[in-house]
Amino acid sequence: MTRRNLTTFIIILLLFAAAVYSLVQPVFGREDLRLGLDLVGGVHLVYQAEFPEGATAEEKAQNMERALATIQSRIDKYGIAEPVIQQQGDDRILVQLPGFTDIEEAKRLVEQTGFLEFRQAELNDDGNPVYLGDYLDSAELKFFDETEPGSRIFVDAANSPVAILVSDGEGNLSFTDGKGNPVSIEELRQATEEMEAGSAVLLSWIPARGDDGTQLTGSFLAMAAPGIINQTTGVEAEVDIEWTEEGGIIFDQIASRLYNAGAYGTPQRALGIFLDNTLLSYPQILQPAYDGKGAITGNFTVEEVERLANLLESGALPMPLQKPPLYEETVSATLGGDFVEKSIMAGVVGIMLVMLFMIVYYRLPGALASLSLIFYGVLVLAIFKLIPVTMTLAGIGGFVLSIGMAVDANVLIFERMKEEMRAGRTLGAAVEAGSSRAWTAIRDSNLTTFIVCGILYWLGSSVVASAPVMGFALTLFVGVAVSMFTAVIVTRTLLRLFVGTAWAKRTSLFSVYTGRE
Amino acid sequence: MFDIVGHKFRYFLISGVLILIGVISLATVGLRAGIEFSSGSMMRVGFEQEVSQEELRQELTSLGYASAIVQRTVGGDYYIRTGELTGEDKAQLVAALETQFGELNESEFYSVSPMVATETARNAAIAVAVAAVGILLYITWAFRKMPSPLRYGTCAVIALVHDALITLGIFSILGGIFGWEVNLMFITGILAVIGYSVNNTVVVFDRIRETLRRGASTDFEAVVNDSLVSTLSRSLNTTLTTLIVVLALLLFVGSSIQNFAVALLIGGIVGTYSSIFVAGPLLVVWEKGEWGGFLPRRSRAVSTKG
Repeated sequence: MTRRNLTTFIIILLLFAAAVYSLVQPVFGREDLRLGLDLVGGVHLVYQAEFPEGATAEEKAQNMERALATIQSRIDKYGIAEPVIQQQGDDRILVQLPGFTDIEEAKRLVEQTGFLEFRQAELNDDGNPVYLGDYLDSAELKFFDETEPGSRIFVDAANSPVAILVSDGEGNLSFTDGKGNPVSIEELRQATEEMEAGSAVLLSWIPARGDDGTQLTGSFLAMAAPGIINQTTGVEAEVDIEWTEEGGIIFDQIASRLYNAGAYGTPQRALGIFLDNTLLSYPQILQPAYDGKGAITGNFTVEEVERLANLLESGALPMPLQKPPLYEETVSATLGGDFVEKSIMAGVVGIMLVMLFMIVYYRLPGALASLSLIFYGVLVLAIFKLIPVTMTLAGIGGFVLSIGMAVDANVLIFERMKEEMRAGRTLGAAVEAGSSRAWTAIRDSNLTTFIVCGILYWLGSSVVASAPVMGFALTLFVGVAVSMFTAVIVTRTLLRLFVGTAWAKRTSLFSVYTGRE
Repeated sequence: MFDIVGHKFRYFLISGVLILIGVISLATVGLRAGIEFSSGSMMRVGFEQEVSQEELRQELTSLGYASAIVQRTVGGDYYIRTGELTGEDKAQLVAALETQFGELNESEFYSVSPMVATETARNAAIAVAVAAVGILLYITWAFRKMPSPLRYGTCAVIALVHDALITLGIFSILGGIFGWEVNLMFITGILAVIGYSVNNTVVVFDRIRETLRRGASTDFEAVVNDSLVSTLSRSLNTTLTTLIVVLALLLFVGSSIQNFAVALLIGGIVGTYSSIFVAGPLLVVWEKGEWGGFLPRRSRAVSTKG
């Protein structure tokens, strides 16, 4: 045994100890391996962002960045641990929520634009409110209040948008439905006839603006928090808001204007609070100034108020997301937990059978290879934890497969050693010749696996960031890379420990003549 | 000593027949594309009480999902595949099934839009093509010091196409019998098989390179045969250890990665076969210009079939 080999041996032992330590102890604040969606359960969504036509690449990039931050903020406030929120390509957003399996809630959380705006009733020249019917009956389609160029929203009894009247900027007006699809006046006439039998008012809501023309929107909010008030009639839930300084000024300008516009209880005095074109509530203005504070009331449950406060606090998405998402996936936590146990079982059984085979076939070197296989398993898992690599079912598959392949380098070296020993060389010479001659084959053959891993990683990440495919590529890559080290260096170092001892002369330990005709 | 190269046309015949069967199956039965490639929704449900596949299918038909595909897992759960479902459609479907069959447990749900499906299918094709070209270039480069290195690359690629075709063919037959679908994990399995097969081929080629360098023999056929035989136990042992772990995966984990593990299992065996009996012998055929050897054998194959 040379001094150099002993040093290598000690380094290997230390590395092994470090790997074991990092697996059992929390490292970088991480207790366990990071598990993917298919193992802990969770939701995986991919959305297509809908940019207006003619948006420049730069605008798109900026808006994507803002959208990611907004979604991140909403999810963080919701309290989901370790979410993944990423841009896919130029205009797609990927969201993965490990451990969170309520897909409808997740979709609501991500896809709601969250655009909050304040509106007031449109008045005609006589100071009376305008309704949808007035527009449908008028001979020529033009705004009653020509000073206001913004859109008009008409909502039904359930406060959902029935129609939106928009101007193209050149005085041409057209109706769309709540989703932005064009609707004809004829269709609207039919729809309203049915509705007016009910209690729908179909008031024309126009943007509420400050004296300088700035529209009051959610972007002027400094704070939004759920407010729960216990009334004798039950719990009343609202969202308490605080304006920024500018927002407070604009709000008071609007409040004083509406306060003087009509009597208590009339539409003239109502402030419409709209979220994504849906009317939340239309409180009456009770005083001409509110000093930067207020509340959004409505027929809310406590849960809805919490959701709304989160939405407002995080801000609106700079562009809407296409619904339904391009890709959705949910896996329940119980199914995932089941997989963890099964795949650990598969790994343990697989590794033990491989070790058994190696020991039976290659005897002493096989036993040493089994030791380096244990070292390999521990080291790879430690690397997975440190990087960290997200473990998915397929990722574990890649790891288990790499166990099978990890012994490949050993097999190559041992077969070479046997040939050398048959040719009459001593163990020492056979170990050296075997490992150096097998090296080119090990290097060249594993490089093809690396090429395939690279291509697979690209394929996995290209469209929906498929965690199974990426996980497989990554674990197989790490596995094969580490196996080149453990199989060649670790096994050789262990074998060298026997060189020059009495064991080395017992050829039966090395099964030199088995498997030979 | 085994004479592998001497019987090369016999081995080519075996490969040819397997490929032929595979291609026929691919042309007639075809491959069933999973939702990742053809869009739609799929959910996995387990019922508290026993529900037969036929009952479930009838109920789905009466609910307006006549074209739904129902598959039973080993554990007794069902995969129900439909067109793309919205959140509301899905909630209604689940509620209707619960009314009919009692409590159910929905453990997986996937929904893929046509746009994503098209892109995924396209990228999978690109990935396979890039892998083939990448490997051709890499092996040509790795054997650049040999005379005519492109031959090594080409033979390795022929071997991998051979493996991919046979694996796809067998999977098409199994798909016809068991209703298995080709999903992204299956393509991953195919690519892993390609990598694995070339890995084996490179080990054989490396030995040929070394034997030629040593100058032990000038007869290329003898050199190749000698290299194949001396790497034989290594090839078999490595395959064996890999198949052990793949089998463990298949038996213990099953369902979700079944397609992937089956691809690895078939591909692992076929890949080892091709690296021993196809890639090396092909080099000899090329070196000696024995292309004519295919013709009489081929016609004999046809005559024995007829």
